[in-house]
Amino acid sequence: MSDETAFDLVGCLQRVRRSDQLAARELVEHLYPLVIRIVRAHLPRRVAEEDLAQEVFMKMFSRLEQYQGAVPFPHWVSRIAVTTCIDHLRAQKRRPEFRWADLSENEADVLDAVLTNESDRGPDDTLAAHELVHKLLDQLKPADRLVLQLLDLEQKTIAEISTITGWNNSLIKVRAFRARRKLQKLFLELQRKER
Amino acid sequence: MNPTRQPNPWDRLTAAARQLPDTRDTSAPYGFATRVAALAMTAPRPSLGIMMERFSFRALGVAVVLMLVSVAANYTALASAFTEETELRDPIAEVLDLGS
Repeated sequence: MSDETAFDLVGCLQRVRRSDQLAARELVEHLYPLVIRIVRAHLPRRVAEEDLAQEVFMKMFSRLEQYQGAVPFPHWVSRIAVTTCIDHLRAQKRRPEFRWADLSENEADVLDAVLTNESDRGPDDTLAAHELVHKLLDQLKPADRLVLQLLDLEQKTIAEISTITGWNNSLIKVRAFRARRKLQKLFLELQRKER
Repeated sequence: MNPTRQPNPWDRLTAAARQLPDTRDTSAPYGFATRVAALAMTAPRPSLGIMMERFSFRALGVAVVLMLVSVAANYTALASAFTEETELRDPIAEVLDLGS
């Protein structure tokens, strides 16, 4: 990325370690797009994305002395962002049950279409599909949800997920398998129940 | 995605959801970086005491694990040592037994 080559990350970090506030501001501005993408993708309900992003940056600054350079700095920050989001997702109460009655008209139509349509063609209402995907993801454990979201929505590879999260490949595959199995059960249950 | 896997409801749903473009701005909102930088630079740095506490807990954990591993590895030796202790040979009693 041209932005990354233009930005002197090493020099900026050295200045931040010397408590240079201007450098800290530059670092936040440089890393904000990376952090906000993770935060938006894994944002718990009733949490403001800006508050969560701020928490990520505050953790980053407070742990800066622990950064040894074993992984690239943006990867290190993305791991902080991921763990912060998971902590917030764990703290929120999951819905006890996923029901047809909780869905909007459009979401119910989309769900009906994916449950009954055997062809490869997906539903046309992308916004409703997007909302529905997130409602279904809410039913999963935070770490499983994160893996499935990165795999199936953001279409990241296992290696890329490992870089972002710091988890090993086997753990990622196990989490993806567990999450898909739970969703499959949920779909079967929904198929049995009347709309 | 695994190409051998048949498209299921989840695959169809995520394929549709991916069509929705994320057009939201990813640059930091006005004042955000200044506020966060100011907060970070005025926040107290972790003191030596807190760092020591953190390392002490880690060291304690490692010590407990090592202790459990060593006990498990030498369990038979330890168990037999205790049983041998109860059956300690008493040379004086043996001499007296021989004399009688």
